[in-house]
Amino acid sequence: MTFSNTYIETESLPALEDMPTQALSGKYRPTNIILTIAIFGLLAIIMTAIRFQPLFTLNEGLVVAYPVGMAVCLTLGLLISVYHYFADPLKRYALREQDISFTSGLFFRKTICQPILRIQHIEVQRGPIERLVGLASLQVFSAGGATHTFEIPGLEEELAQQMRQFILDHKDTQSHG
Amino acid sequence: MDENPLPVSAMTDIQGDEEWRRLSPIAILYFAASAIRVLAGNFVYLIPAFAVSYKQITDNPGMTIPIIGGLFSLLLLYALLSYYFYQFRLAQDSVEIRAGVFAKKHINLPFSRIQNITLEQPIYYRVTNYVCLQLDTAGSAKQEAKIVAMPLDAGNALKQHILAKKDEQSGIIDSDISSETPIESQEQVLNRRSIKDLIIHGITNNRVWIILGAAAPFYDNISGSVASYLQSIGIDLEQILSSQTIAWWQFGLYALSLAMIIMLLLTLFSVAGSILVFYGFTLSKTHDRYVRRSGLLTRQEVSMKLSRLQVVVRKQDWLDRLLGRINLQLEQNNSGVKGANELANTNKILVPSVKEAECKLLIEDAFPGNNLSTTEFTAISKRFLLRYYLLWVFPVFTFLISVALYQARYTELIVVLVMTILICILIYMRWLRWGYAFDDEFIYVRKGMLGVDYYCFPIHKVQQTQFKQSVLMKRRGLATCRLLLASGGITIPFISQASCHKLINNSLYKVESEKQSWM
Repeated sequence: MTFSNTYIETESLPALEDMPTQALSGKYRPTNIILTIAIFGLLAIIMTAIRFQPLFTLNEGLVVAYPVGMAVCLTLGLLISVYHYFADPLKRYALREQDISFTSGLFFRKTICQPILRIQHIEVQRGPIERLVGLASLQVFSAGGATHTFEIPGLEEELAQQMRQFILDHKDTQSHG
Repeated sequence: MDENPLPVSAMTDIQGDEEWRRLSPIAILYFAASAIRVLAGNFVYLIPAFAVSYKQITDNPGMTIPIIGGLFSLLLLYALLSYYFYQFRLAQDSVEIRAGVFAKKHINLPFSRIQNITLEQPIYYRVTNYVCLQLDTAGSAKQEAKIVAMPLDAGNALKQHILAKKDEQSGIIDSDISSETPIESQEQVLNRRSIKDLIIHGITNNRVWIILGAAAPFYDNISGSVASYLQSIGIDLEQILSSQTIAWWQFGLYALSLAMIIMLLLTLFSVAGSILVFYGFTLSKTHDRYVRRSGLLTRQEVSMKLSRLQVVVRKQDWLDRLLGRINLQLEQNNSGVKGANELANTNKILVPSVKEAECKLLIEDAFPGNNLSTTEFTAISKRFLLRYYLLWVFPVFTFLISVALYQARYTELIVVLVMTILICILIYMRWLRWGYAFDDEFIYVRKGMLGVDYYCFPIHKVQQTQFKQSVLMKRRGLATCRLLLASGGITIPFISQASCHKLINNSLYKVESEKQSWM
């Protein structure tokens, strides 16, 4: 093997911070917000139904707890919706020749970059809601362990499959398993 | 079906052998011992049952003999059945195991998937010179296979055979090794630990749990007999503890001396634990792997392929610093292993309490060309302190102080003040220790609090990079860098944004352009 160790100007390295990034599917944010409203709305409806049903008399404590429960439920629903409204558009991804990155976070920003060479296996995940609206999540596993799974949520299904294929076809994943 | 135990010479005809084999009968001992271990582990749940029937037992002492006899024969039956149902088969390039009395399992393990081979020799195998061969895979902990009893020579031969097969399959043919020379003879011992080293290790590191863990079922008895012993030499604990009879300073002295005695006992236990695990420690190196051998009762042999080594950690607690000793850890792929304790973990090789010069040699051997000992570390930003002081210490402190003032409790006030100052000092120490450095090949991280730990890893082993930044950090041009290795993540918080970008871009470039394997 010929040994080479040429000096590389650090400024000339490809820079992660200057890379153009792409937004997730336009359906991602509305789906999350509607889902949040639906879950907390359902909880509120169940509580109200139990509170005012004519079948049996409620425990005194539960009657007192009802307004508190409603307040907590609605505030949480509202806060999580607002969070999704602002945070979801900030989730962006980028695919380069050699790696794949994902940026997220409203206040604490985080950019994860996964070299394709180090990918062990890859999955496209579709939950029931995601299937309903035609979205998919791309999950990438490295030897860094299951707790450090790299995931891009809210991709159009077709795009997720294409990205999966791109990674599978990449010569590095083929030679390194 | 072959009913005979595996003869020592069996390894010669190992290839193409398709017959199911049974273990040597010595394995019955192993099964019995492991059943006892499981029973002892579950002893805690049996205590209520004993407590309930205690009176009946004392009333009819004659009953105990048949009960114990029954238990013993059950145990023996279990061991015999386990032995009877355990069969294994060595094929061309895989090992198959059928085992289990009630829950049957059938393991088929190709040699290529074996990550690690551990030879273990419990004390009852010493006489007959048998070993227990544990085969670890990269995946789940459930898939591990154990060949329970094998003659030492056969075990070693099988190990070499599997390793050779593995290399063949992955296309690595080492020209240095001809098939006639046994690999064992090329082994070179890098480090040995004497009893003195192990005593130092026991004092500086808490190895108490090794003894405490083994003694767990007997806690009640021990505390009972200690109390009665103390009483017999004229110390009545209950009388002492009802402190009205004696002055508070006397009570304080009692408490202090009791604490000293406990400390001394714990230290002694810790030393015993250290000797138990590390007795006769050797770290040696063959052409492509490190081998650790140690153990007083159960001798353990752990091997780690050189190329699998991810990071070298040089750990020094405050006591280690005083005595000038270092614990060196060689860590490899860690995924798939859950909750394994530090010493039984075959993914790490720990070299206990080495001296500065030895440590330097070992690190140099593991990662040739690294500059851990000479490199200059860059400190992290002082804003690290600010975040912890303002975000965590200050709110809790103000809350506790206002509560104390409001209720006019001045003793608590002083306690809170002292605690806060101590915590602030600890956070300051944490900041002081944290530093990083890098060169063309390696990244070095220094961290700790009272002690200092140094991490050193080759840049091309990085699995994933993370760049983290809060909005406030961005305003100050700071960022946190996290680099993921197969052995776990390493974080460098609050460094300048430019350095963080440089570290990450550099690592990615090196990984992606050189395409070196991480394992």
